[in-house]
Amino acid sequence: MDKMNIPIGPQHPLLKEPLRLNIEISGERVLGGILRLGYVHRGIEKLAQTRNYNQNVSLTERVCGICSHVHTTTFCRAVEALLGLELPERVHYIRALMCEMERIHSHLLWLGILAKHIGLEMVFMHTWHDRESILDVMEELSGGRVAHAVNQIGGVRFDLDEDHGPMVDSTVKKLKVDYEELLDVIEHDTTLKARTQGIAPLSAEDMKKYCVVGPVARASGVDVDMRRDDPMPPYDKLDFQVITHPDGDAWSRTYVRLQEIRQSLHLCKQIIDDIPEGPISVRAPRKVPAGEVVMRSEAPRGELFYYLRSDGSEYPARLKIRTPTLPALGILPEQLSEIHIADIPVVLAGIDLCIACADR
Amino acid sequence: MAESLFYLLIFPGISFQLVCGWFFEWFDRKLQARFQRRVGPRWFQPLADLLKLFSKEDLLPSGANEFAAAALPLVSLGAVLTAGVYVPIAGFSPASFEGDLIVIVFLLSVPTLAYYLAGIISAGIYSVLGGGRSLLQFFSYEVPLLVALSGPAVMAGSWSIREISSIQAEMGPFILFQPIGFILAVVGLIGKLKRSPLDIPKAKSEVVAGSLTEFGGVKLAIWNTVMNIQAVVGIFLLVNLYSSWSGIVAPVLAVPVFFLESVLMIFVLSAASAVFARLRIDQLAGLGWKVLVPLALLQLLVVILMGV
Amino acid sequence: MQWLKKRMRLLLALVEALTGEAETVSYPKTELELPKGYRGAIQLDEEKCIGCGLCVMDCPAHGLELEKESKSVYRLTYYPARCAYCGQCERACHRQAITHTNQLPGSTTDPESIIVILKDQKEQEDSDE
Repeated sequence: MDKMNIPIGPQHPLLKEPLRLNIEISGERVLGGILRLGYVHRGIEKLAQTRNYNQNVSLTERVCGICSHVHTTTFCRAVEALLGLELPERVHYIRALMCEMERIHSHLLWLGILAKHIGLEMVFMHTWHDRESILDVMEELSGGRVAHAVNQIGGVRFDLDEDHGPMVDSTVKKLKVDYEELLDVIEHDTTLKARTQGIAPLSAEDMKKYCVVGPVARASGVDVDMRRDDPMPPYDKLDFQVITHPDGDAWSRTYVRLQEIRQSLHLCKQIIDDIPEGPISVRAPRKVPAGEVVMRSEAPRGELFYYLRSDGSEYPARLKIRTPTLPALGILPEQLSEIHIADIPVVLAGIDLCIACADR
Repeated sequence: MAESLFYLLIFPGISFQLVCGWFFEWFDRKLQARFQRRVGPRWFQPLADLLKLFSKEDLLPSGANEFAAAALPLVSLGAVLTAGVYVPIAGFSPASFEGDLIVIVFLLSVPTLAYYLAGIISAGIYSVLGGGRSLLQFFSYEVPLLVALSGPAVMAGSWSIREISSIQAEMGPFILFQPIGFILAVVGLIGKLKRSPLDIPKAKSEVVAGSLTEFGGVKLAIWNTVMNIQAVVGIFLLVNLYSSWSGIVAPVLAVPVFFLESVLMIFVLSAASAVFARLRIDQLAGLGWKVLVPLALLQLLVVILMGV
Repeated sequence: MQWLKKRMRLLLALVEALTGEAETVSYPKTELELPKGYRGAIQLDEEKCIGCGLCVMDCPAHGLELEKESKSVYRLTYYPARCAYCGQCERACHRQAITHTNQLPGSTTDPESIIVILKDQKEQEDSDE
């Protein structure tokens, strides 16, 4: 059959964010694809150089909508490292609580998108309904569903009242029950497994070659997780498992993310139980002494990398962000050879695209 | 003459089919919404969508065949409306002849062929893909559907739908004797209507809207009407072939029972739509030829043996 | 039976959803309850504001402007169209003069036209310009 070029263009029902993918097909088989990014490029790194550090906390929050908190946390930790501040313990616990809740809501969102793309709209709606309870908790605690505005340089902006602890506890309990139901549905649904098993397998060597991180790498057996390897303060005291899966196909990525929800729920409960008393912020000067620092953390999609260089003024000299989606997009054209057209949604969903993160 | 006009224009012709089609679309969308814990549209939504489409611009890409793009939806509409006249409503049918079952099934397949052609003639990449997929799907579900639908015909000893439905007054509803045939007919109907899990030709995340990607305005309104009426006629056909109570119960109950069964069928179709994920075209072909066709042949064998 | 139940889990969820209530609300008709800490529209306590300009320095979207001529003659302007509702101004103010209410900011068809003067202490002849 002769070949055709199909643009999965900037606008497509498949894409949450604009992306251009020119795929070459022959009949129902995909032969390869070329990826073009840059539709959501806002020049965040350049903008950061024209704003002072407090403004930059709000700026880095808007790099991505789904993983907004972890961006600000990493930035604040980078600045605090340059300032040499010693933060109270309570700050670390509150930041970690929001990080874990963000991970849960990101994975639930991703699960709904995967179900929607393969035609299971009911699972999509039910998953997002479960996600609503986490978003409500985040809204109660921080004042916003998507833009949480939790961090400031030197601490956090809100404190947990007496009734916040039990509220988070009860939400986590309820979500555990809903989550077990969801797991039941996903693991035993024949059609979902038939659509995801065996699709686009990738080996651990491919992962290392392209420097892929996050659940995509863990689904091929690469054992890397920043919460364990380069931990933020509360994580070295908390107890959790890093989930890996030996096959590298779409089903194992689903499995890894599903199990990570369970680990995050477990972590939330530990944080609420162990959180120490104390102040929630310390005074931070406006001018940051000259120096450079590298800060890493575990976003829901993998390892987030911040490089910050300061020249002693109120404005950063250079801020470099390397988000986890970018290497995962690098491995996309390789996954696109030898699959059916109908598997493109599964492959794209498996990477958990966040083009806003990748383009910055 | 006046009587024929009444049958053609009012009942069970154009007006009745249109109203039933709108009810089908509303009820299906409402059920889907309630399954997903949403509120769902109000009763006049399909009518509102139709009027909205009439007021939209009707564009086609350059290189598309304008005449065919206008003719194909009209031809399909004519085919399904004609099919609707021959299917008995609660035992009442204005016209029938021996062999009209085969004609009805053929007429109900005309929209599928028209869908394929519409994909080819509208010069767009997604349309060509959607059209090709619809033809591939046609080959996978049509054979089990035809074999399953010939079960009631063999059991009743006639190929006229009116005969098949009235003979169930003596023999009992056929669904009791041919449950597998009924399930296969439902699967075939889902494939014919291009509903999930067999909505491969118009899978939104893969081929945007299949053959109808480039259509808009009045042409799209007619296509939507064709899909609705095709669904309604298909449901009525299945109810008549498998579970016709019009001879068994008193005539005054026959009409509510018929409509209740049709509504139950909409329920079954919507639930199947919600519970299963979309299949891939090669999985459908495997399912069709490896599972459905043997089952259909088995069912036919059982029916023939029961008659002997 | 357990096997069948697991396979039919979606079907049970379906029945459960049908018999329950809808989760979506019809927004303008039903009232929306926002949490106490929701970052909504901006308000200024004029007594507490001293025109120091910390909020202006820390606004990432340049949504606040201070025209200051002397210690008691200044005008603080707020542009709701540029505001990102991030709360940096609230955090920056030492006297908690500028705060977020928990009301949703209103909507309009012409965002460039809304300019809110939060505090105007300029002389009479200045405001005639």
